[in-house]
Amino acid sequence: MRNGKDACPRIMKREERTIIFPIGEAVSFSLESIRRRFTRALITIVSIVLGIAFLSALLTISRIVVALSGPAAGAEALPSYQLWMAIIALLVCGVGIINSMLMSVTERYKEIGTIKTLGAEDIHILELFLFEGAIMGIVGGIIGGLAGWGVAFAIYRLPAQSPTIVAAVESAALGAVDIVGYSVVLSILLSLLSSMVPAFMASRLNPVEALRYEV
Amino acid sequence: MTSVLRYEYTVETEDLAKTYIMGPITVKALDGVTVKIRRGEYLSIMGPSGSGKTTFFNMVGGLDRPTRGKVYIDEVDIAKLDAYELAWLRARKIGYIFQTFNLIPVLTALENVSLPMIFAGVGREERLARAKDLLERVGLGERLDHKPAELSGGQQQRVAIARALANNPVIVLADEPTGNLDLHTGLDVITLLKTLNSEKGVTIITATHDLKMIDVSDRIFWIRDGKLERIETRKDVSVRPVARE
Repeated sequence: MRNGKDACPRIMKREERTIIFPIGEAVSFSLESIRRRFTRALITIVSIVLGIAFLSALLTISRIVVALSGPAAGAEALPSYQLWMAIIALLVCGVGIINSMLMSVTERYKEIGTIKTLGAEDIHILELFLFEGAIMGIVGGIIGGLAGWGVAFAIYRLPAQSPTIVAAVESAALGAVDIVGYSVVLSILLSLLSSMVPAFMASRLNPVEALRYEV
Repeated sequence: MTSVLRYEYTVETEDLAKTYIMGPITVKALDGVTVKIRRGEYLSIMGPSGSGKTTFFNMVGGLDRPTRGKVYIDEVDIAKLDAYELAWLRARKIGYIFQTFNLIPVLTALENVSLPMIFAGVGREERLARAKDLLERVGLGERLDHKPAELSGGQQQRVAIARALANNPVIVLADEPTGNLDLHTGLDVITLLKTLNSEKGVTIITATHDLKMIDVSDRIFWIRDGKLERIETRKDVSVRPVARE
């Protein structure tokens, strides 16, 4: 009589259930994957940079305007249609990220299948693709946030003549540096959210089908 | 059952069958295969293309679920394992070698070999040390930092063999390991597999067309149309005189 599983020790122990991809390895893996498809990653990052820079510039400008003309100018400084334009720009760039990540998943079917046969769990695959998205988000967010802030600052600082206005613009711009931080956070969130669907699809692939797939 | 030889059979299948439904037609890729594979055996599965070799492989490797029948690995019925346990099994008990090598192109030879150890939870230091060791063993100690594209086919397959052995598996499944290699490098790979088989006692199961494989195999399973046609031992097929054991 065969009693199979009960006859031998359970092949796994509970505490081993928590293996995750070590962060260092996952990051270097994702970086290498980005490097391999550099042009596409670059285009995606540029689109993130543009979207984030737009938002960051709008917010910084509104801060400077408020600083120059008093809080009453708040509503004027950031008309809601401009904010909506920025939001739509970000949505478009989110779709761009989804698109580029989907291509990346399709190109790497075989790789994903191989990694799964080597013992990767769904969560590991998910991790790899989310890291890839996050890296693009961080890079795009930092560049975009700084660029938008810088442009807004330049717009008001360059034409300014009187020392009082220069000082006001400078202090307002410096006070608005937090916007760069928000931009980076927003950019990472946006990239993670957009990478979620492709990463989930990749993680659910059946290894046999993934291995059979020819690009 | 004997309790001394606890896992006498590394792999057992019972009436294993797989049916694919492709639109109006059903294809019986595998149709009732019952085999027992001993620990430390070097086994070749031979048969024409489409005979069900790869299907058998995927089933034994826990990559695909059978339509009917059972697979036991070290007496564990793998149909009863959940996704996590299957991943565990793939990581630690089974090593895979593919016809197309399937190395990860963005990783170096060393990183490729250490990849399965990540999934087995081996620490970084030990991982790299073991990977280096394995690569030296397959004769690639000088090429640790080369990416797959910088290696020849034979070298890539040797990296894949080192990778398959990373977690000291009990079984190595090799699907047409010499299929993409020329005669000479193919022979090198077969010799390497045989050496590892005798030295480490790892069970090696290869699906192959390659008749060179017969010389090193302990047994050969001939599969045709999804059925096990016959089982031969090396003595039955070898043309050379074989010393009595």
